[in-house]
Amino acid sequence: MYVAGIDVGSLSAEVVILDHGGRILNYIILPTGSNSKAAAERAMEASLQAAGLKLDDLKFIVATGYGRISIPFAHKRVTEITCHGLGAFFLHPASRTVIDIGGQDSKVIRLNDQGKVVDFAMNDKCAAGTGRFLEVMAQALEVDLAGLAALSERASCSIPISSMCTVFAESEVVSLIATGQPREDIARGLHEAIAERTAGLVYRVGLTEAVTMTGGVAKNSAVVHALEAKLNVKITVPFEPQIAGALGAALLAREERDKEAGA
Amino acid sequence: MIKALHGLARAEQIAARRDEIVRDLKKETGRPVIGYLCCFAPPEIISAAGAIPYRITGRPGDTMAEADAYMEPYGCSYVRNILAQAVKGRLDFLDGLVISHSCDMIQRLYGIWTYYRPLPYSRLFNVPHQVSPWAQRFFKRELVFFQESLEQFTGATVTPEDLSRAVALSNRNRALIRELYRLRKENPPLIKGSEMLTLLLAGGVLPAEEFAKLLAETAAEVKNRTPAGPPAPRVLVWGSLLDDSTFYRLIEEAGGHVVADDTCIGFRVWEKDIPLRDDIYEGLKDHYFLNFQCPRTDRGPGVRRFDYILERAREYNADGVVGYIISFCDPHKFDYPDLRDFLRQSDLPVQLIDDNYSFTPAEAIKTRLQAFIELLK
Repeated sequence: MYVAGIDVGSLSAEVVILDHGGRILNYIILPTGSNSKAAAERAMEASLQAAGLKLDDLKFIVATGYGRISIPFAHKRVTEITCHGLGAFFLHPASRTVIDIGGQDSKVIRLNDQGKVVDFAMNDKCAAGTGRFLEVMAQALEVDLAGLAALSERASCSIPISSMCTVFAESEVVSLIATGQPREDIARGLHEAIAERTAGLVYRVGLTEAVTMTGGVAKNSAVVHALEAKLNVKITVPFEPQIAGALGAALLAREERDKEAGA
Repeated sequence: MIKALHGLARAEQIAARRDEIVRDLKKETGRPVIGYLCCFAPPEIISAAGAIPYRITGRPGDTMAEADAYMEPYGCSYVRNILAQAVKGRLDFLDGLVISHSCDMIQRLYGIWTYYRPLPYSRLFNVPHQVSPWAQRFFKRELVFFQESLEQFTGATVTPEDLSRAVALSNRNRALIRELYRLRKENPPLIKGSEMLTLLLAGGVLPAEEFAKLLAETAAEVKNRTPAGPPAPRVLVWGSLLDDSTFYRLIEEAGGHVVADDTCIGFRVWEKDIPLRDDIYEGLKDHYFLNFQCPRTDRGPGVRRFDYILERAREYNADGVVGYIISFCDPHKFDYPDLRDFLRQSDLPVQLIDDNYSFTPAEAIKTRLQAFIELLK
């Protein structure tokens, strides 16, 4: 008996398939592109192929993320807040605060001892301090995403970036480059700006340890370090932070399957 | 056409065609229409003076560029929305305007509106920001000045009996609205939050007697309903002005029931009768000022207002509270951190939605609402 969770975000789509024992059979991460329905189908197909399964083998599929409404093969749709909470709790059961920074959203989720969401806060309706923000800044500094974090780790000091609007921050970075500021120090400043903004969200729901970080941006060690320094806590990053949403959805799918089987 | 529908269907039609209804009413009766915002200047006084009270509402999501020529684009988008409508000529059926100094943005709206688009009658209704005995005396005097200015405009003389009659009529509607709110205590509620708000919005343009008929029709209609569907999380909505049922529909689509409210055009105005005392102004003062739970009035340290919300949440068996605040609404924003902590201590989850009076992007708002409903389950 197999179940799956699919998380279609603004920048990437993830699928997680769980096997009979509730273990992760496989997962896949693909870019979303301009059509979230097509991305969902592509990701599911690739995932099934890698697992050697057919769509019919999946007894229950839960969809989450920004594109959850447009996924035709999903049996249930659940928000990414609930799913990220569940996924993070499964990967790291000590989690009480989950910081998730995705392509266009950042959210902070507070969990209770059972891994149930008790409170959450999301960023305002703009991409400031999210994955998209980092992509634009990396471009302005002429590095790839991995290079951005590496650049920042080599900085000797940090140049404060005052704009958090993606568009204005880009102009600010461009003018800093023009005045000859080292790219390393600019990169550090950018990561600290993200930490600053994310910390504001954390304070809104309150900080309870342990803290786990999920979402694509958790792969950027410079953001994680800046956040750890800002919040003065240790942050755990699961082995694949980007699949936490899809994993949570898959766990819910398993629960639903069991409910159906029991009924 | 409008008479052919009944109850909720009629309410919906009236709420969607408020301008048309008031224009017709004006033609039929020959009476002037006085627009009002906020709930401090009593519409009962407007009716008693022989005019038609019209609760001005905005058009969420409508363009506001027209207002930018007269008001900075930061600040309350509801106020800019109303000003844009005035500038576009959509409120040209108004013969008069009364705006209370409920918050600074609203007061500025009065100044800018009447300066650039003067009306035959206009009045800024001055409301004290504290409830000391002196402030109460001031408010009572303000009621009388307001009445006198209307008498001058309409040529009518308002006797205490006229005013008592107008109050008795609106109190009858209060009783009918209370009856409808009782039906929301059922699980699932017999009347949806969006339906209730639509009804109240329709009431903002109807003469009291007409509104009474509509309320009675609706009560008869919804009492016959059989509660359907599995029980869903019940929420109380707290926040600044909601004069459009879209937000409640978003909560309903997310799988929740709106069972109670503490917002501007909600139960607050209708929950209790206006006391009919020997001194009618004393009763109006108590109702519209002393006991009126709008955060724009500073009630000093302590959380009487918050107790009010908690009591309602308990009474209607709400599982959580959704806050709706129009961006930059100071009175509500200053309340929020304290209110949030207070409700959390009372084991009531809270989720705040900050919106620029457009309910967009709907998906982003829906995700927050849906996640909140999921956590209440």
